[in-house]
Amino acid sequence: MTALGVFDSANLNGGQKLAMKYFAVSLALFGAQVLFGVLAGLQYLFPDFLYGVIDFSVNRTLHVNALVVWLLYGFIGGTYWMLEDEADHKVVGLGLGNLIFWVLTLAVVVVVLVYLLVQVGPAEMKSIWLINEGREYIEAPRWADIGIVVAVLVFFFNVVATFAKGRYTGIGGVLVMDLLALAGLYLAGMFYTPNVSVDQFWWWWVIHLWVEATWEVLVGCIMAYMLIVTLGVRRRIVETWLYIEVALMFGSGILGLGHHYFWIGTPQYWLTIGGFFSALEPVPLVAMVVHAVFDSGVHRLKNSNHPALAWTIAQAAGNFFGAGVWGFMHTLPQINLYTHGTQWSASHGHLAFFGAYSTAVIAFFYLAAQKSRGNVWMSGNLAGGWKWKWSMAFLWMGMIGMTMALLIAGYEQSQIERAIEGSSWVGYFTAQAHPWFVQAMKWRQISGYLFSLGYVLLVWDLFTIGKRETRPIAELHAPSAQPA
Amino acid sequence: MIEPVALADFFTVFFTAALVILCGGLYALLFAYARVKDTPRLMPLAYLSYAGLAVSALVLAHAAHLFDSAFWTLVVGLMLAGYLVAPHGIWHLCVGTHGDEDHAAPEPESPRLV
Amino acid sequence: MTTEAWWASPSLWRKSAIWITGGSFVMLIFLTFDTMSYIQAGGKQVPGYSIINQRVDYQFDEAKNRYVPVIGPEEPLFGKKLTEAEAAALVSKGKLNTQAKNCMECHTLLGNGAYYAPDLTKAWLDPSWGSKEVREQQMVEFLMNPQDRLHNGIGRRMPNLGITEEEARATVAFLKWMSAINTLGFPHNFKAIDQSDAPASAAAPAQP
Ligand code: HEM
Ligand code: HEM
Ligand SMILES: [Fe+2]
Repeated sequence: MTALGVFDSANLNGGQKLAMKYFAVSLALFGAQVLFGVLAGLQYLFPDFLYGVIDFSVNRTLHVNALVVWLLYGFIGGTYWMLEDEADHKVVGLGLGNLIFWVLTLAVVVVVLVYLLVQVGPAEMKSIWLINEGREYIEAPRWADIGIVVAVLVFFFNVVATFAKGRYTGIGGVLVMDLLALAGLYLAGMFYTPNVSVDQFWWWWVIHLWVEATWEVLVGCIMAYMLIVTLGVRRRIVETWLYIEVALMFGSGILGLGHHYFWIGTPQYWLTIGGFFSALEPVPLVAMVVHAVFDSGVHRLKNSNHPALAWTIAQAAGNFFGAGVWGFMHTLPQINLYTHGTQWSASHGHLAFFGAYSTAVIAFFYLAAQKSRGNVWMSGNLAGGWKWKWSMAFLWMGMIGMTMALLIAGYEQSQIERAIEGSSWVGYFTAQAHPWFVQAMKWRQISGYLFSLGYVLLVWDLFTIGKRETRPIAELHAPSAQPA
Repeated sequence: MIEPVALADFFTVFFTAALVILCGGLYALLFAYARVKDTPRLMPLAYLSYAGLAVSALVLAHAAHLFDSAFWTLVVGLMLAGYLVAPHGIWHLCVGTHGDEDHAAPEPESPRLV
Repeated sequence: MTTEAWWASPSLWRKSAIWITGGSFVMLIFLTFDTMSYIQAGGKQVPGYSIINQRVDYQFDEAKNRYVPVIGPEEPLFGKKLTEAEAAALVSKGKLNTQAKNCMECHTLLGNGAYYAPDLTKAWLDPSWGSKEVREQQMVEFLMNPQDRLHNGIGRRMPNLGITEEEARATVAFLKWMSAINTLGFPHNFKAIDQSDAPASAAAPAQP
């Protein structure tokens, strides 16, 4: 055991060392996401800003792609982090895992450079292969898609082989099946078709079935592990609840896909299916509320990592509001006819992604910070504890500010652009010039700066938290984390 | 099949839809809290939240013309019933899954959030 | 272990999770097959590519209580009638162009994408193109040189994406084809550009 409060990779097991690399890139890409978001937001206010240099489409592509990739890096990191503990075995094929990390990261860098420097190509298949696929969130050119699939397969091999050599826990089993589904879904986004309806039909398989099904369950697995280690909740209980969650999430989320099949050329029955299952989608979130209260009431609230716990609670709340409340507000076709494709969607998208996923990954960053400094104290009256609190406060103030501003903008758009003006070009710009909209864009930008400040504090905190701390981690539980 | 919401009702729809989920969450929260802390005094508040949910759902259904069709009326009915019983069901599950714990000697365990 | 009820056991919930997931997925696959018969080109809601040889309109349908695409008399794009294969190739090139230029990161198509610029679902039918006679040419010129055509009072301009004339024409074909997709009434209340002929011809509207 090395000195407390000093970063030392000797504190980590093999999988965790690799996880740290993923976390580092993840954190950096989070920064890139924020940067390009701020630039894109500025273009709403000053349309000539960077016009013809880094156009809105380029900033936005980088903004949403960085988002997807930093979260995926966070999830992969989280999985490697828990793998050895969970399987009770060293990561199988760690060397390969490391190699693939570098290959993947190099690919990400090349893709980003091409987005920035090449930007667009001629109307030929080679543009799709080399530059940009032109489909929101999964723009990565085809060569990179293939690279991603290979990288994910290697990752999958690491995970499966490690569980197979060690032991399969309930969490492990769910994790493996979920990763398989997550990777398989990506294939649904890897083909070209001239038919825009067919294109969007499959595009939503990737986007929706990721964020409303497989990602939720992946986060569920990672959080289940976190609850065992940071709170000492008993494995049998955690695993039963993981199964319940899978049943509820997949039961509502898979056919909830229908809420994206209202207006893309798909048949009428999707209006009913989409409406029905999205009305169910908040149910798992309500279930979590009951269970969280039950647990906190039955057991003493005590844990060894306050920032991680705070972000875990934020995850539950963020998921409830972003996905549950904001999702349901615009999901019935009777109203989605007017909100579809307005800032309304952006309001929901921001709160849901941040609330459900960014929070979870940030919680994991804190777990990693703690262990890499030799399991230092991170409970009450932590030295420099203001940093994580203020960074969290700024991130949330920024996010809530943005979400509210976009909500107002979307409300105005749904009325003026969609309902009154019938979504014509004139209608679009009438709505964009409306004082409510213009004001909302200003507030979004101000909130974006608050959010950026929170990000800077977060990075600073992650690099310093627990430094020179001399107390060891708060004693929590005896051996209950181990038995499977 | 569907009758889109009238312009004048947009706000009502957003607002009541949000309230349905918020009241659903609040009902679940109060319900669980009343049980866990063994404070039956709070139970009426929980059901008050549910009443809020029910009223919101009915107003929403009216504004979104859901009662014009049998299918959408059914969805409303299922939501009303589902959100009423869900916290009860989940509560039983909590008790059931934690059945092997010894509540008298509190373990160092804490909220299970996922 | 001790007093666990059967309905709270991990194994029951593991099985439930598997069955519910499997069941939902099987339903989804079934629905996907059925949906394909609606959305393949020439399917029940998505027209074949040669629709670009005809007039496409968008009108309110009282019986259906929503806007529907209405296919009118022959009105070939750029005055040249294409075979199904030629039309398919042209629309495909246009679609590829929208991807290569990343239109979707400023605009929405069928309502999906980004919100910095107008929805393109019915761009072909937008009254802003002036009149039916000049529309095609206007669209091509706009796509090739959008930077000096400010269409709004807020100073937002589309950038020059290096679209060639050939690409622009293909893109217009794609947009015309897309406007004929039956999107169940989205966008609602959209008033299409006037496409009526001289009073004489009152072509019977047919539906896709
Ligand atoms: C964590 C979970 C969720 C995330 C991360 C998420 C994220 C998103 C994002 C980013 C979009 C915009 C997609 C685009 O670019 O067009 C979107 C759209 C949408 N989401 Fe969610 N969502 C989640 C959960 C939900 C839930 C639970 C519901 C329903 C109850 C829902 C309903 C919708 C609907 C109806 C749309 C379509 C909006 C439109 O018509 O433009 N979402 N979601
Ligand atoms: C400084 C903070 C941020 C700013 C200024 C910002 C700004 C923007 C802008 C301008 C867009 C384009 C919307 C449009 O097309 O009109 C956008 C889209 C998006 N952003 Fe952000 N963003 C920020 C942070 C975030 C964060 C933290 C997340 C998630 C964790 C996020 C997720 C998204 C998503 C999912 C979309 C696509 C939404 C859709 O298509 O509906 N953004 N953002
Ligand atoms: Fe969705």
